Amino acid sequence: MNGEHSLPDGSLPIENTNEVPQPAVNDPNAPNFIPFIPAVGNGFVPIPDPNFTNMTLPLNGVPSQMDAMAPTQTISADEIALYDRQIRLWGMQVQQRLRQANILLIGMRGLGNEIAKNLVLAGIGTLTVLDHELVTGEDLGVQFLVTEAHIGQNRAEAALPELQKLNPRVELYTDADDIKEKLPEYFHSFDITIATGLPVDVLCNINMACRAYGRKFYAADTHGMYGFIFADLCLHDFVVEKPRSNRPSKIGDMETPTRSVTAVDSKRENQTITDIIAYHETYTPLRLANLSPLPARSRNTRRSKMRVTPLLSCLRALFDFQSQSGGHLPVIRRPADLAMFTRLANQKHLELELLPETLRADFLRSFLQNLGAEISPVVAYLGGYLAQDVINVLGQKEAPLQNFLLFDGEDFTATQYSLHPINDDAMAMMNTNGLPMMPGPVPAEGPVTVT
Amino acid sequence: MPRDQYARQSLGSTYRLVKESRVLLVGAGGIGCELLKNLVLTGFGEIHIIDLDTIDLSNLNRQFLFRQEHIKKPKALVAKEVAQKFNPGVKLIAHHANIKDRQFNLEWFAGFNIVFNALDNMDARRHVNKMCLAVDVPLIESGTTGFKGQVQVIKKDKTACYDCTAKTTPISYPVCTIRSTPSQPIHCIVWAKSYLLPELFGVSEDEPTELDHSGDTDNVEEIEKLRQEAQALKKIRESMGSDDFAKHVFDKVFKEDIERLVNMEDMWKDKKPPEPLSYETLEQEASSINSSIKLDGQRIWSPAENFIVFKDSLSRLSHRLAEEQSKASKTAQPLPTITFDKDDDDTMDFVAATGNLRAIIFGIETKSSFDIKQMAGNIIPAIATTNAMVAGLCVMQAFKVLRGEFTRTRWLWLWNGSLRTDQLEKPNPECPVCSVAMGRVHVDLEKATLNDLVQDVLRTRLGYGEELTVLTDAGIVYDPDLEDNLEKKLTDLDIEDASFILVKDEEDDNPRIDLRLAIEAKKPTDQSKPVALVEKEGETLDIPRRPTKEDAPNGGDVDGDDANGSVVTNGFSIAPPTVKRKRDLVDDDAASGTPAKKLQGPVAAEVAKNSALNAIVIDEDDGTLLIADDD
Ligand SMILES: [Zn+2]
Repeated sequence: MNGEHSLPDGSLPIENTNEVPQPAVNDPNAPNFIPFIPAVGNGFVPIPDPNFTNMTLPLNGVPSQMDAMAPTQTISADEIALYDRQIRLWGMQVQQRLRQANILLIGMRGLGNEIAKNLVLAGIGTLTVLDHELVTGEDLGVQFLVTEAHIGQNRAEAALPELQKLNPRVELYTDADDIKEKLPEYFHSFDITIATGLPVDVLCNINMACRAYGRKFYAADTHGMYGFIFADLCLHDFVVEKPRSNRPSKIGDMETPTRSVTAVDSKRENQTITDIIAYHETYTPLRLANLSPLPARSRNTRRSKMRVTPLLSCLRALFDFQSQSGGHLPVIRRPADLAMFTRLANQKHLELELLPETLRADFLRSFLQNLGAEISPVVAYLGGYLAQDVINVLGQKEAPLQNFLLFDGEDFTATQYSLHPINDDAMAMMNTNGLPMMPGPVPAEGPVTVT
Repeated sequence: MPRDQYARQSLGSTYRLVKESRVLLVGAGGIGCELLKNLVLTGFGEIHIIDLDTIDLSNLNRQFLFRQEHIKKPKALVAKEVAQKFNPGVKLIAHHANIKDRQFNLEWFAGFNIVFNALDNMDARRHVNKMCLAVDVPLIESGTTGFKGQVQVIKKDKTACYDCTAKTTPISYPVCTIRSTPSQPIHCIVWAKSYLLPELFGVSEDEPTELDHSGDTDNVEEIEKLRQEAQALKKIRESMGSDDFAKHVFDKVFKEDIERLVNMEDMWKDKKPPEPLSYETLEQEASSINSSIKLDGQRIWSPAENFIVFKDSLSRLSHRLAEEQSKASKTAQPLPTITFDKDDDDTMDFVAATGNLRAIIFGIETKSSFDIKQMAGNIIPAIATTNAMVAGLCVMQAFKVLRGEFTRTRWLWLWNGSLRTDQLEKPNPECPVCSVAMGRVHVDLEKATLNDLVQDVLRTRLGYGEELTVLTDAGIVYDPDLEDNLEKKLTDLDIEDASFILVKDEEDDNPRIDLRLAIEAKKPTDQSKPVALVEKEGETLDIPRRPTKEDAPNGGDVDGDDANGSVVTNGFSIAPPTVKRKRDLVDDDAASGTPAKKLQGPVAAEVAKNSALNAIVIDEDDGTLLIADDD
């Protein structure tokens, strides 16, 4: 892994660009999130070399604690009995790796509750839950770790006792700080940071702080029947076992533009031969992924374009809306909000080269109707998916999410979209020194209106 | 803001239907706990939860309503108590009972808007399926195995029912493979569990279902030899409790029987003959091992360690049996036996050690007791995350069911993280369960005779002619040549409350399709008639005529436009045959090539990874991987 200097598609690594998170300048309500990556001299991030002259990539080259700490302690018989049904699925080694993991979970609304439950049940080592907000009445409709008696208390602290009961073996910590006030060093100690319910600017900053320390990052959010999960695992190595195929994998094979084969082995059990293939996966940070086009195979035919969910355009529109409006969600009763959101959605849809007829007014209306809400079955699905991906990543088994998952509970779709800059885009991005490369807002002339 | 703020916002007018609904959740296991949480939080008005089981330590990694202090308590009751705190506003009713109990009759089922199945066995699933069809209540059926899961909506006349597709039958092994020519670890484990243990501690007359006798006639001689062997073992059983019992058993099954096999030279032309074990040698080796060490279930034991566990578990089982027999002899109860239970360490240790000793003899790889437990006990891996995702999908389907939008419900498959959807199948016209017409009768069981049913209901009310047959589970109770039963009371024919009878129209001319009548013990309003057909207001039971050959519906015409990828690997069907049309929705993952190919991938991978699953000794549980929830 240390010898990798360029992305598998031949482009330069785009992580560690010298981009600096831009605070929203004109908005007095902008999230109080001054770029927290300490500025050195020119205001660039100090540790990655912004000019890519030093190609040893110290940050991603340093194995995370997770990789470095080979499981040593043995798991007790009691633990084996407790985790019996999952050890039978993923094996002892994964269970040992879980036990050594240190995870940060930001946001303890309904989605956070589900993620925390699943990770604690699985038996991760240490979990810190961070939330600076207080339990509200509507929280009770989707959070099962708090009750009416907790209204007005800090969400993370209120959830702690019930969370601990799910598995007394897990070391739990709470943090009532506002995540926006954390310094980047804060993220250093966590193998994985999971951020839920935050505006995109905050997510991008956390993402870059994690990257600066070679730490893995997940973002997730939900709006009623809809939701998304994003993963930036920097560089990730994992193993997949599959039955011997007719076209065996070879070292160096590029299975996708971001996935290469690093080792091939096999084992025989009775009559079946199983290939054990090690992969190396390269990731794109959220800020770049959010500007990246759809992969060619999702946009090269009309049919493939028809299948792309309009949720992607809406989600990007929502990200921009929040960036431009100080983090708040569009208010459905406010015509100016609706107009702005609709304009953004149409713009994003066009940028993605999607067909106008796939962004229908009824979908926009439904999306807006759901904004800000959380419902139990949807957060259960998203929380289950995300926690399992985290477990797989910790265990370095199974292919992880690459990199967006969009969920639509009306249509029962949970589709992975791998959004990466293609070569030219990446180069252009770097040449702009991290400034947004998108043109300014295009005039509102999209075909869709919401009334 | 109130707790239902978000549900109102997101669900709109559906929320009122949710609030007013009455739902039944069958099973408080892995999916059940998650489902109950979702239902309670979302605000389903009244929720009944039923489960027969009690809580076990190995449940706690995923059945998150349960904690250490709840172990051995009834799942349904604890689940209710814990989940009630999530939302004091919903009405929760728990039943620690078997869903097949007669108290849960059709009238009871008919009182629900939706039934959720979160079960771990095929038998109960089939029962609920039948009950829901009989009263036309929509059923949301779900199951998980490891990283995989599925959710299916079953609605009478609109979608396929649980029994519309044939389910995999349990795997069984030819007797000779188990008794004479094992070649895989599973063969040795089945031998230990289904032959040796029952011969020594059980009732050997009970034929284990894992043994397949269909090939017996080809091996008459060998089968006779095996019978004699078993007889000899029974003799040895009589010395149970004596000091040399262990040596007797050992020498019989690990030495003499093997020597006999070795002498059948024809058998070993192409393979290595077995090598008998020596009791004395192993005893010698074992003497240098500290036998009090707690043997590690993860590690593969040495021959001497297997020997120690064999002797130790045999002695434990012998003492237990002797104790129970002496107790039973005082009360004139039938002689107690010991049967295999994966959670009974004595039987588990015995099976692991003897199975491994046999494997050593035949040059077969030995296994850790952890692995043997899975193979012998048919343990299905289960994790919290898959259950959470599947339970979430169940409730999202329920929103559509409550709105009556059955065309928008789907067959959902969770396949190692990816969600696949498919149209729900149309009912299978050949399905023995749902292709029949269904009706209910109220019966005054004190008075009603078969004649009341045949004359008043079938002939007079429904217009059947002379030629008809009435069947119960036990067989024919009436046809025109069997009139003796007509004057008998229904109860004398075992037609009781909550039972079903089947009516076949045998007229040559335009016969009706079969009719399944559900019997409900309830005095009909018209006192003069002890049997009365139940019909909802404004509806009359209309039994369609059997389709003739020409206008038979062409089944399976539902959008069959997708790639054909059959998903049967190693002759072991993992999913219902419909999987070939699964549409792969993770369409951006170029790694897996074309959708058809992708379907092959994970399926075969699953088989390879869980090769133990290939060789599961299935008890009464599902052979179909995808439909098994954990317990
Ligand atoms: Zn059917």
